[in-house]
Amino acid sequence: MIDVKGLNKYFGNHQVLNDINEHIDRGEKVVVVGPSGSGKSTFLRCLNLMETPTGGEIIFEGVSITSAKSKEADRIRQKMGMVFQHFNLFPHLTILGNITLAPIKLKLMTKAEAGQKAMELLKRVGLEDKAEAYPAQLSGGQKQRIAIVRSLAMNPDVMLFDEPTSALDPEMVGEVLELMRQLANDGMTMIVVTHEMGFAKEVASRVLFMDEGRIVEQNKPEIFFEQPKNKRLQDFLSKVL
Amino acid sequence: MIDKLYKAFIEKDRYLAYLEGFKMTLLLSFLSVLLGAAIGLIIATIKYAAVRNKLLAVPNFICNAYIAVIRGTPVYLQMFIIYFIIFNTRDTSPLLAGVVCFGINSSAYVAEIIRAGIEAVDAGQSEAGRSLGLSWIQTMIYVIFPQAIKNILPALGNEFIVLIKETAIAGNIAVLDVTKAATNIGVATYDYLPPLLIAAAIYFIVVMILTKLLGSFERRLGKSDRR
Repeated sequence: MIDVKGLNKYFGNHQVLNDINEHIDRGEKVVVVGPSGSGKSTFLRCLNLMETPTGGEIIFEGVSITSAKSKEADRIRQKMGMVFQHFNLFPHLTILGNITLAPIKLKLMTKAEAGQKAMELLKRVGLEDKAEAYPAQLSGGQKQRIAIVRSLAMNPDVMLFDEPTSALDPEMVGEVLELMRQLANDGMTMIVVTHEMGFAKEVASRVLFMDEGRIVEQNKPEIFFEQPKNKRLQDFLSKVL
Repeated sequence: MIDKLYKAFIEKDRYLAYLEGFKMTLLLSFLSVLLGAAIGLIIATIKYAAVRNKLLAVPNFICNAYIAVIRGTPVYLQMFIIYFIIFNTRDTSPLLAGVVCFGINSSAYVAEIIRAGIEAVDAGQSEAGRSLGLSWIQTMIYVIFPQAIKNILPALGNEFIVLIKETAIAGNIAVLDVTKAATNIGVATYDYLPPLLIAAAIYFIVVMILTKLLGSFERRLGKSDRR
């Protein structure tokens, strides 16, 4: 589904991603872990061209997105949902407005269809009573669940999560992880950058460890966590587990 | 004094002259603000986009030069220059010349106001819009601008109020605004002070009303901030 070939990214002279090669199949749940500054977020943000790669190629559903024109890139992004650390809900719109903005403006659905779909999704996450509220009236956990729903409303083929629980109060982490778990069970292809090792162990089909812009080690979670080979990964796990 | 004010305002239906002048002042200011906001929005958008897009380096340079020249010269001179050079024909409408002059002048200030308002919107908002598949321009229209307006409005309202007062010099290019009406009446009655005070009172009242309106509009826009 996603093929990454020789991906490089520089910020100025600083190399953030160093020759990344990776293949992600439909239905996989890939969790990316690593120390801060290792390039996890940049890797994720390159996948939907939030950051323009300096070199290399990314192929999504058979189409090279790194050589895509901006219009094609916009179309590709419709199929790749993204959830941010800081939610990034639109504060000037109601929850319903947040969810239906893109489907309506991109003429994928009529206003009525989008509204109906939004209410279905809201019911699923138990927030249908918040449809007319504004983001400022919601708790962090609710905001992040709405942000996930907003992405789902576009019927994406893959969901990218960029540290979705890092900005949450501890007691709100659970509700967001629970929703992500549901998504995973429903078969959504997911790429998750997170520090939640428990989530990685339980949900991931594969865990990647990144360090200094490279994917240093990857494996199924049971082997990844129990028998790490790389010295850096052993150090990392001894600190976070 | 009552007698003088009577002479300057009521006698020979002189209040009609103020009324006409007042209409002209409002029309001139309103059209100028529209023109200024339109040009300002374009300049601000170019300058905002140029930060990320190197292709816009030349338009960005032109915009900066435009702003520097407009802000670096007096509006009084700009008005004469536009009237005498650019509109140097006998049938030039003074109103049109005034609108072009004050619109251009205001656009330089408005551009900076709008740009600052756009840049104050969190970068994550633009990312969220783009990640949903909205194009750059759709993201600007539906996500960034509506939020930027809240940052822009107080300063833009101020600019409008400043502009209303600045148009008082438009009498010099034959625009019959409220100041010009007042000086004309001063000439006719051989008594300048009462009509000038009346004109000043008119400006003051308009500015007060606009300030109030602006305040309530801002509160309405702040609706989504409540908790």
